[in-house]
Amino acid sequence: MTLESTTRASAQISLVDLLDRLLGTGVVLVGDVVISLAGIDLVRVQLEALITSVRSELDQGEDAGTDEA
Amino acid sequence: MSSGRASSSSRTAARKEKADPMPASGHYLVAVSRSLDPHALTGVQGIRDSAVRVVECEGLQAVVCDVDLDEFGEEPLRRNLENLSWVEEMARAHHAAVCAVDAVATTVPMRFATIYESEDRVAEQLRVLRDPLTEALDRVDGAAEWSVKAYAAPVAAEAEDRPRAETGAAYLARRREAVEARRRRESDDEQVLSDLHHELATRAVASRRLMPQDPRLSGRQEPMRMNAAYLVTHDAAQSFSDYATKALADRTELRVEVDGPWPPYSFASLEPS
Repeated sequence: MTLESTTRASAQISLVDLLDRLLGTGVVLVGDVVISLAGIDLVRVQLEALITSVRSELDQGEDAGTDEA
Repeated sequence: MSSGRASSSSRTAARKEKADPMPASGHYLVAVSRSLDPHALTGVQGIRDSAVRVVECEGLQAVVCDVDLDEFGEEPLRRNLENLSWVEEMARAHHAAVCAVDAVATTVPMRFATIYESEDRVAEQLRVLRDPLTEALDRVDGAAEWSVKAYAAPVAAEAEDRPRAETGAAYLARRREAVEARRRRESDDEQVLSDLHHELATRAVASRRLMPQDPRLSGRQEPMRMNAAYLVTHDAAQSFSDYATKALADRTELRVEVDGPWPPYSFASLEPS
């Protein structure tokens, strides 16, 4: 039903499109646990780390030739 | 011991469901909504296996789920954010929950990983931010987000018909000409896309140009020339999508991709944009 269709749609969305929206936009409220995550700077720092890891994952993915998403 | 009972009674009632005095779990805020029938979310999962539930305050509804602070506390979260597969799994879970809420009520999605220590704290946010949250809900009511991205078509391989014996001056002139041609093309592209953005914006309730995506994350070779988001009413969605898809169909140097509908992530800002 609705749940299945949204889940399926979610699996087709590329990660970068998701991160564009989940990290770059959306309402920013200051949470209790991770106040610093609300700051753009930390997100940017984490994205740098992400980019580093996405590159290694991509390399591995190409080697293995798998497509799990 | 019995003093202050009046002020603490609601807190005590809220605590009853969760007996833990020291929270080992946090409350992950997925979205804020209104006129939402909580039963419509039966069976909807949030993060991991935790079902979403609704915290109400002042006519607003926060959709939350429990998360383990061993995973989402400040220190573990910092570590986990560097793990791409973890981020992807959680981002997809967050998005699926947002979509489930968005499917049944007007929804303002939260940014990834907004976590509170108690339901009281969630309710307090709804109370304190009632006006801007209500404005955001008003703004996105009856509309959805559409993404329009434009890529430069792959550039033809740089002229391989280079003369065998070329002087240094001729080489420099040719390089200069190539650089100039590319600059002209980019400037033309920018004008065309700026016009397109303007046209699309007139068909939308609101619009935003986002940062072009990092090719290292998108894995796309072609440079992204435009990354824009539009808030479009449900009634206008089909014609918006048709227009965006066809507008630049005759321009081989630009490729336009239209994607939607999305929950209104880019238009959920608490400040008027």
